[in-house]
Amino acid sequence: MADIQETIQDLGRQGSSIADEIQQTVRDKKPLTIRRIVTNEYLLHVLSMTAFLLVWHQAAVSGLFAGALATPWQVVERFQGLMTDTLAGLTIWGHIWASTQRIFIGFVLASALAIPLGLFMALNPYVDAIVKPVFDIFKPMPPIAWISISILWFGIGEPSKIFIIVIGTFVPCLLNSYNGMRLIEPELYDVVKVLGGGRWNEIIQVSFPASFPAIFAGLQISLSMAWTCVLAAELVASRSGLGFIIVQGMKISDTSLVIGGMIIIAIVAWLSSLLIAGLEKYLCPWKRDIAGL
Amino acid sequence: MAYEEVKVKKPLSLILLPILSVLTFFVVWELMVQLDVVPKTMLAAPTQVGSLFVTKLSDPNPDGATIFIHAWVSAQEAFIGYLLALGIGLPLGLFMGWFGVVRGIARPLFELIRPIPPIAWIPLTIFWFGIGLGGKVFIIWLGGVVPCVINAFVGVRMTNPTLIQMARTYGASDWQIFKTLCVPSALPMVFGALQIALACCWTNLVGAELLAADQGLGYLITMGRRLALPDLVVLGMVSVGLAGAAIGVLIDYVERRLLAGIRR
Amino acid sequence: MTPKIECRNITKFFIQKGKQRVHVLEDISLEVRDKEFLVILGPGQSGKSTLLRIIAGLETPNEGSIKLDGQQIAGPGPDRGLVFQSYMLFGWKTVMGNVELGPMLNGVDKSERRRIAQRYIDLVGLNGFEKHYPHQLSGGMKQRVGIARAYANNPKVMLLDEPFGQLDAQTRYFMEKETVRIWESEKRTVLFVTNNIDEAIYLGDRIVTLKGKLPGRMHEVYDVELPRPREHTDMKFLQLRQQITDASELVL
Repeated sequence: MADIQETIQDLGRQGSSIADEIQQTVRDKKPLTIRRIVTNEYLLHVLSMTAFLLVWHQAAVSGLFAGALATPWQVVERFQGLMTDTLAGLTIWGHIWASTQRIFIGFVLASALAIPLGLFMALNPYVDAIVKPVFDIFKPMPPIAWISISILWFGIGEPSKIFIIVIGTFVPCLLNSYNGMRLIEPELYDVVKVLGGGRWNEIIQVSFPASFPAIFAGLQISLSMAWTCVLAAELVASRSGLGFIIVQGMKISDTSLVIGGMIIIAIVAWLSSLLIAGLEKYLCPWKRDIAGL
Repeated sequence: MAYEEVKVKKPLSLILLPILSVLTFFVVWELMVQLDVVPKTMLAAPTQVGSLFVTKLSDPNPDGATIFIHAWVSAQEAFIGYLLALGIGLPLGLFMGWFGVVRGIARPLFELIRPIPPIAWIPLTIFWFGIGLGGKVFIIWLGGVVPCVINAFVGVRMTNPTLIQMARTYGASDWQIFKTLCVPSALPMVFGALQIALACCWTNLVGAELLAADQGLGYLITMGRRLALPDLVVLGMVSVGLAGAAIGVLIDYVERRLLAGIRR
Repeated sequence: MTPKIECRNITKFFIQKGKQRVHVLEDISLEVRDKEFLVILGPGQSGKSTLLRIIAGLETPNEGSIKLDGQQIAGPGPDRGLVFQSYMLFGWKTVMGNVELGPMLNGVDKSERRRIAQRYIDLVGLNGFEKHYPHQLSGGMKQRVGIARAYANNPKVMLLDEPFGQLDAQTRYFMEKETVRIWESEKRTVLFVTNNIDEAIYLGDRIVTLKGKLPGRMHEVYDVELPRPREHTDMKFLQLRQQITDASELVL
């Protein structure tokens, strides 16, 4: 972990090195040849997406997957229908909202518990000594393994789904705030000490802001974990949500519903991670972007 | 640097507290069940789980297989998926890092697949592969391949540009630079991927067995719930956790051995 | 006249990796006069930074005592300002936020601390950069912020720990000139640690050299009686430089 951070820092430094600038000018001077046009990345992006859709369409039409594959166009049509029609009483927007709502509640609960606990553990060796071993017992257990027990405990309603999300997001949130604070340069605390600040000021002025980027990295991991958890919970037992859509598609052998559901999941998950990234940019204006990552 | 060896003692309380805390955890858990604070239909005590484990070593009832068979099936799926993820993900990531053409073609597809949790593929894989080994391996592979590609990609992109320029002035070809410069410099990130990918594979294994399985540790958990046997559920969870931790330690060891020769 | 700082027989050990005891400083005795610019000159690994950290109160010596104005030092305090080799600016605060940190921690109200901070930002030549974040500044500018931050707390003693070690030669020379200018405009007791002989002679009223290799021991004390501003090519400058080089080569 520390090594990766070092390398990333090195990379940051290299970003402004003289060598980089030379590379830039050389690149700009290249003449416009056919080879360059063909190997242009954006053109290749378009080509590969087109090829992907064509292969998909062809595979679906030719029945390569034993008919268990809808064409791209069928998927689009199916979802156009769902914008206004309902599935199990909800339009597509309603299902998106059902899943997002669960994630939001679970996510907020987990981070509100895990982040302060992680910070506490890093700050106080006694809290660390008490909580860490119990936490280490639970850590290697995949959150999805909790689904069955949470259904035994909470039934198949909302609480059991939110519980799973809390379990899944808790671990990365806690680990990142814990490690983020432990990796703080100890000399930064010396600055506060020398200027005449006490322990409280060390925490307020250094610990919190310096561990912010690590906390946000943890939130990003948590978010993708939360999506996995909410889908797993919805696949097992639910009447709404994006996981319900694809499992419904499976039950009625409607592959356009399944694939469309997956695409919607991809889009919503991607948007939600953009939201966290945007929040981080807003809250941490000092954070430098690392090129090429 | 001149130094002499001395012994520094940790405060006794910091040595005792972790032990006490784990003990308390198990005692409270046991008592909560024994004293009926939590109904027995919802949670099993550690001792019950322990005795069930001993029974399950030889008894295939009520879920159809002994615990060893379940663990073996799961480990098999996980390792095939994991090795396939490494075998495909790492080279793909490395090539994407260095060759613009590969990046141009593979990136949009990768970005399309990346945000979809592997769990969401379960219905499709049931259509395509049935509930046999193939579908589960596919789900596990999807879980592992994403971190492999990302880490290998970032590793190559983080190659010191000055070194690349140096190689260019010596007249090295693209392929030579890739082989002798980019790949070695990406190795630490690649080894990092071993751990991350394994964790992802293991999580998705449980997910894959949730819906489409008739054997495996994930299936054991599901069966426990269907039969309303909390001791079976907890046994399954503990086995998954222990097996995951054991494999993690193993990979950590392998990684350390491999990295010892490379670092510094 | 009583010395501003008085170090008596300081000895320091470190514990590293949990079990290795390293002997860093051995029997250091040192007096710093009021309003004096004292340079501690020593090669890498001579414990000079540790000495400075002990005076700052960040480390406690295993043996010996340090007095400031006749008072025993117990822990760090705002009467001593420290400038770090690796800047140690708060990346999440602007230049203004960094410089006003000291007054803020000591309960100075907002408008007053803004005024103080602005004064020192101007003094180190950074006006116009108040709203910049540290990562937007060059190395020399970062260390100016470090110096302003230490000054803004109005310490009696300034402690500078190889402050220009990470700068290129030109910037370094320029910053040395600036250091003298800032010191002359607001004279205080300064302890400056460096491994660069030219820097030591250019800046110091007196130079204390430490022997190389751990544990660090006192070597020689030189009085630099050159008029300011000094010139690196001045004959007396070069003679003193030769004298220090010759003496330290015997040690190494």
